[in-house]
This record gives sequence, C-alpha cells and structure tokens, in this order.
Amino acid sequence: MSSGAATIRRAAVTDPTHRTESASQSRIRTVGAGKRYGDFQVFRDVDLEVGAREVVALVGPSGCGKTTLLRCIDGLLPISDGEILIEGARVTEPRAGVAMVFQHFGLFPWKTVFDNVAYGLRLAGAAKADIAEKVPHFINMVGLKGFEKVYPYQMSGGMQQRCGLARALAVEPKVLLMDEPFAAVDAQTREILQLELLSIWEMRPTTMLFVTHSIEEAVLMGDRVVVLKGRPSTVHEVIEVDLPHPRTRETLTLPRFAELREIVWNTLKDEARQAEFELEKGR
Amino acid sequence: MSATTIVAPARPFAWLPTSNWTIKLIGGLVLATLWQVLVGAFLPAYVAKPLGIIAAIPTVVTNPLFLSAAWATLSAVVRGLAVAIVLGTFVGLALGRVKLVERAFGFYVSGLYAMPMVAVLPLVTLWFGYTGAARMATIIFAAFFSIAINVADGAKSVPPEHLEVARSYRAGWREIWFGVTLPAAMPYLLAGIRLAAGRALIAAIVAEFFISIEGLGFFILFNSRTFHHNEAFVAVLLLALFGVGVEAAMTWATRRFLPWYRREAKTD
Repeated sequence: MSSGAATIRRAAVTDPTHRTESASQSRIRTVGAGKRYGDFQVFRDVDLEVGAREVVALVGPSGCGKTTLLRCIDGLLPISDGEILIEGARVTEPRAGVAMVFQHFGLFPWKTVFDNVAYGLRLAGAAKADIAEKVPHFINMVGLKGFEKVYPYQMSGGMQQRCGLARALAVEPKVLLMDEPFAAVDAQTREILQLELLSIWEMRPTTMLFVTHSIEEAVLMGDRVVVLKGRPSTVHEVIEVDLPHPRTRETLTLPRFAELREIVWNTLKDEARQAEFELEKGR
Repeated sequence: MSATTIVAPARPFAWLPTSNWTIKLIGGLVLATLWQVLVGAFLPAYVAKPLGIIAAIPTVVTNPLFLSAAWATLSAVVRGLAVAIVLGTFVGLALGRVKLVERAFGFYVSGLYAMPMVAVLPLVTLWFGYTGAARMATIIFAAFFSIAINVADGAKSVPPEHLEVARSYRAGWREIWFGVTLPAAMPYLLAGIRLAAGRALIAAIVAEFFISIEGLGFFILFNSRTFHHNEAFVAVLLLALFGVGVEAAMTWATRRFLPWYRREAKTD
C-alpha cells in the first residue's frame, strides 16, 4: 500500500508540522490517554488532537475501545493514565459545551420531542423564553417540524436519532461527540442522516469527533480518519482526508473517495480478521 | 384459480352478544341467581341474599350513620395512602439509587413487607390508643412497604442509557432522582399503588374490627352481629366498589400519563 504513504502518517497527530493550528487552538487533546479495567487495558498512549472546526473520525475493529475513549472525552468515564483536555482544561466530569449523540439515541420515553430536545438547555438553566425560541429552531433544523408533541415510541429509529441530534445541537456545543450515531438505523436512513448532518455541519462548523465502524462514513465525515488498533489498542494510523468541502452526495462518487476508503480498509482488514479470530478462540 | 371459498368455522355461542360489558353483566347475573337460590333454599332467612341486599341499599345509603362510617374509613384510606405514597416513593428511590441504603435497609424493608400488618395491630393500639390514629398508622404501615419495594425495583431497573444521557448533560442528583429515576420508575409506582390500595383497605377494616371505632368495618361488624346481614353487605359492596375504583383510576392514569409505557414494553 505504498500509494497511501503520502496520506498516512504514522501516529503523527502531535507532530507540529502536521497541522497549521497550534496546540492551544485544539478543542480536544488527549495526551497518553489510557483506560484500564483492573488488569484489562482497553487502550493506551492515545495522543489525539482535534481542532476547532475539524471533524475527526475514529475507526477501529469491534471492541477496540473507541466508544470507551469517546465516553472518557465526554467525562462519563475517568481515564486511568494520561490526560484529556478540552479547550486546555482537564476533563474530570461532563463539561458544558460538550454534547454527545448516542448510538442508543438516549431519548427519554416519557418526554415529547420538544421536551427531549429542550433537555440539555433546561439542565443548563436556560431561560424559558430562550428554550421556546431555540428548541423549535433545532427541531426544524433536523427536519422534525410538526413532531414536537410526539413521543419517541411513535417515531422510527431515524426520527429518534434526529431528535437526539437536535438535543445535542440545541446546547450549541463547541465539541460534538458522535458515538456511532447512525449504527442503529437502516441503511437508507443512515445515508440521508449522514448527508443532512454534513449540511448542518457546513452551516455551523464545530469540533466533531465521530466514532463509527463504517469506513465510508468515516471518510465521508472526517477531515482525518484516526485508526485505533491493537490489543490494547492505540492510535495506529492517521489518514488525512483531502476531499473538498462541502461534502455532499457527489463526494461519494469521487475517485479519491474510493481510494481513501481502500486505504482505511487496508489498515483495518488484518486487525478485523484477527479480532474475529481471537473472539473465536476466546469461546 | 379454482373458486374455493374458505368458510370460517362457526364460532361457538355466536348468538351471544359480543360486548364485553354485556357478557360481564350476564356472568354477574348467573352468580347472583345461584347465590339467591342456594341461600334461599338451604340457609336461614337472615343470611344475606342479592335481592335482600338490593332492597337494603336505599335505606342504608341514606342512613347518616352509614355515610359517616363510609367517610371515616375511605377518607382515612385515602389519606393514609397519600402519606404512604410520598414516604414510599422517597424510601424506594433511596433504596434503588443508593447502594449503601439498599445494603443497610433493603433486607428489613423486604422483611416488613412480607409480615402481615395485622400482627402488629395490638402493638399499634398500645402506642396510639383505641383511636383513629391507630387505624391511620395501620393503613400507612400496610401500604408503605409495597410502594417502597416497587419504587426501589423501578429505580434499580432504570435503563443505564437514560442515566448516561442525564450525566452527559451534567445532571445533579436531584435531576437524576426526580427527573430520570422517578419517571422511569413510574410504572412500578403505579403497580405499587395498586397493591397498596388493597392492603390499605384491608388494614382499615381490620383495624376497625379490632379497635371498634367508627367506620365501615365497624358498621359491618355491628350489623352482622345484630343479624342485619343485608345491610352489612351493602358496606361490603361499597368497599368492593372502592377497590374497583382505584383499579380503574390506575388504569386510566397509566393510559393518560404513561402513554409510552405499554408501547415500549411491546416492542422490547
């Protein structure tokens, strides 16, 4: 895979020549981050930097701890080694300005769409007038206008995740953490949601760390694709995605898109096979 | 394609009305007729019979003694239930959410739940005297534990995803308890209230039997002992009606306030 050499930098995330932004501008920064459960090391020595208007996709084989890393960055889980910084401040608990979109949607079944979307704002102590103004705006943005009074059980998975996305966007976060947000919806809906998320992001670019197990999704969304690999896992490759913005459906048809997809795939396939094999052995 | 027509097999009892209420009414009439005929044939005249009870209703329900007895019992049950619901909810949330509380007190709450409250009635009268307060204490004691246990179960089974979302949005403990855990445990709370209402009713009646204070229990006891069985039965009917009323109110509340609950259970 020598053709990929120019675009693959081996764990070069903290290399100063690698990025035009200085470290102080990075919104998310992890330094030697590691997570252990007892003797079991999930990941170690993760050095990662995500700039202010940058989207980083995090991929890796199942069980490599990418979701765990995301939870650590959100402050839901403590890390065991190293540190995680958001805007230069150490993360010890969930922070204002950071919002997460969950694979399981995480909607409260007893709340309507409106109240679910308003949740983050309410907890942040937003004024009633503020909520009344912002919530409909974000419901609109994700295409749920007219569904304000509907309960989650009355909606499809795709609509539920639109609601989850609106809830995260409503707090106008500086950092958006996406935990395989579209993994639980059907393929067509996934594609629609990906493209809509891209257009929302173009309107309001923000820092986004996007965990996914879909290589295409990673290449489509990310400015860089970070590959976590190994047991315990660590940052194995960082692949620059030099696809033009705005990313749209057209992006999927570019030859460069197919090339990048192949590059990411090649870094992952052996590991994926090995992970599967180890799972078999473990049985 | 051959012209085969598929004929549904004839439904047995197809001539019966299909409305649920009509069938219920017919069932009730069958039971009442059996009761009327069997008691009329084999037992003394003063034993309660459906027709006698119906005949007694107008005089009993206009009897001020009966009315104040009904008020005394039912208002005590409602007030006792209210206290038990508030206390039981708090204790249940604490048991379900705080590991230490569960480990320290969970065992005793389950134990006291299993204990028949009738057994402590003599003690309760020692503490409160032969008064309405003793009845109230018995009602609360009987109702409290089924609510606390149910809410604790509900609080323990809150989906971790909900808690994760709340934490991610920086929820404090108040929000975790009352904004997430309590609504998620609501179906359990309603189930607990259902159980508690039945137990509270039993507690009130038994307390009245035992301590002879004004109320439906005492009304039933007095009328039975003076051979007014039909009159006593009107009071029993009222108690049954109250139980049915609570049941209906809970069903209504579940539909009205927890529209999400049944649907969600269905898709799981």
